[in-house]
Amino acid sequence: METADLMHHTSRRFNEDLEKVRNQVLQMGGFVEQQLHRAIGALVEGDSRLGEVVATEDYRVNAMEVAIDEECSRILALRAPAAGDLRVIVAIIKTITDLERIGDEVEKIGYIGSRLATMERPADKYREVKHLGRHVEQMVHDALDAFARMDARAALLTAQEDRMVDEEYEAIQRQCMTFMMEDPRAIRRALELMWVVRALERIGDHAKNIGEYVIYMVHGKDIRHTALEDVARQIDAAPGVRQ
Amino acid sequence: MKAVWTFALARLALVVLLGLILGLFIGPPWLGVVIAVGLYLAWQLRNLYLLERWLRLRSQLDPPTIGGIWGDIVAEIVRLYRRKQYHKQRLAQLFRELRRSTAALPDGVIVLGGQYEIVWFNRRAANLLGLKRPGDVGLRIDNLIRSPEFIRYLHSSDYAAPLVMRPPADTESYLALQIVPYGAGQSLLLARDVTEQRRLEAMRKDFVANASHELRTPLTVISGYLDTLAEDPEIDPVWRSPIRDMRAQAQRMNAIIADLLELSRLEANDAEAPQAPIDVPAMLERLARDALARAERPAEVRLELDARAGLYGDAREIESAFTNLVDNAIKYTPRTGRIELRWRVDAAGAHFAVADTGIGIPSQHLPRLTERFYRVDAGRSRGLGGSGLGLAIVKHALQRHGGRLTVESAEGKGSTFTAHFPPARVVAAITVDGGGDRR
Repeated sequence: METADLMHHTSRRFNEDLEKVRNQVLQMGGFVEQQLHRAIGALVEGDSRLGEVVATEDYRVNAMEVAIDEECSRILALRAPAAGDLRVIVAIIKTITDLERIGDEVEKIGYIGSRLATMERPADKYREVKHLGRHVEQMVHDALDAFARMDARAALLTAQEDRMVDEEYEAIQRQCMTFMMEDPRAIRRALELMWVVRALERIGDHAKNIGEYVIYMVHGKDIRHTALEDVARQIDAAPGVRQ
Repeated sequence: MKAVWTFALARLALVVLLGLILGLFIGPPWLGVVIAVGLYLAWQLRNLYLLERWLRLRSQLDPPTIGGIWGDIVAEIVRLYRRKQYHKQRLAQLFRELRRSTAALPDGVIVLGGQYEIVWFNRRAANLLGLKRPGDVGLRIDNLIRSPEFIRYLHSSDYAAPLVMRPPADTESYLALQIVPYGAGQSLLLARDVTEQRRLEAMRKDFVANASHELRTPLTVISGYLDTLAEDPEIDPVWRSPIRDMRAQAQRMNAIIADLLELSRLEANDAEAPQAPIDVPAMLERLARDALARAERPAEVRLELDARAGLYGDAREIESAFTNLVDNAIKYTPRTGRIELRWRVDAAGAHFAVADTGIGIPSQHLPRLTERFYRVDAGRSRGLGGSGLGLAIVKHALQRHGGRLTVESAEGKGSTFTAHFPPARVVAAITVDGGGDRR
């Protein structure tokens, strides 16, 4: 199994350190997922208090990032890992940055959600935003699953999902413009909503990044700025990765 | 000695004898013996070869037909092999059945190792929790179920109650997860779909809340007219007593509805209570004053404040809980009795105790006291105008504050109800305003 291969190392302590920091990343990911879920819930249900709770809890994401970052620096300094181990550490450092950014976007959604709760709600009850939100939530979830399983194929699927999110984002953007033209009183709300949709789209990008780091971690290939179809071909051609 | 061995020895003797006779004819006798024994040895080697080849290629070849001791050995090997085959099949069948039955379990089952890594799981668990086979075996469960509440549950060692949560990446259903530790560090994780159960529960709560709310309006009208009638000087004196009774019962119905609404409000909010500081000593002084002002109170009502500590929580809920406890004590204590309210703080947290010298409660009723509408005996509380919901409200309000209620009682001597709060909820020395103007 590839996990075992990546984790294979002579020093047991080192293995434990690596495993521990990996667990911390996934724990942080779990918290970010919960934050995202609650932020979308707060917006859609018009729960201003929940939105505020989400916004004020972002400091915990930041604290986790700092802790994991320190742990990674410590491992780099003490153990000087090479090859696969080094890739794991590098991927972790990048992943937590993206998770922390997701946290920031979620904080934004929480604030705006609690503000929107005091305004009149549109007739569609934010159906489109909810759909986009669930989609993005699923992406973050899948990216973290791929990270836990060291599953490059699932990571690639997640990265490909980002296109759909982008399309949905544009559709909602157009819809918001229509609303504004139809009813000038809705402009304020529509503008606020644009921020939320924008944040969700950014979260989709961060989830895509995490997927790319997983591929890098497993295969040692940097696939950023590469067409995803090429990457798919490379993964299929890579020897000995399937179980 | 077995017959085959005698026969084998006889055969060897015969070979040597024949060799000797042959030797006598063609030259030195030893040459004949050597040739004979050599031939014998070659024959034995051939048999050995046949046996070895058969053992090696057993699946394709039939057992060789060799005579003598070799034949016996072949027969014995065949017998052993058949028996092993039979046991293997039986075991495989048993294992298949076991696997099929666990796979058919309606609940998800995951076997976890000492590091919470997945050792085995059934198909239902895979469906409920989105696990993949076989890749997920060996991964830590908290890497895949990452929800913070689950991680907290997993690392707490208190698995008495199951954890109800939404499964990962699903917003429609609810799962009840329970960990059952066994053996050396291993544990079972059971997952059950409780969506339907939750839905029914929510429906029941909604029904109670709605029904109580709907009953309120007609009741207001009825009690309004009853109040007017009772004040009317021109009414026939024959009707005085019935109207008074109707008024009392209408008031009681009002109290029941108010309690039902309070209870459903507490139930609807299953989150922890907020953390606003409450001046408990001031609240208790007020409660004691109110108790003293009541007409039907026992002779002695005492308040002992052993601490100036307050609580973090929801002032309205705490007051409602404390009022209910004090009300109960007043109701069930005779005029000549005594009530003692006590507020103290120790290492285990804060405690509010209400001790009375009332009629007491038979011990078999104690565990069920906080159920709604539970009556120790049918006439007892109804005669005193209770709603039957007081202690249920107390229990829920305390639960929201991480607290619990304990009851000690001796029939005929009195009861002590104590509300316990954890240390995390205690404000060491309360310095808020007099507690009079909350909100």
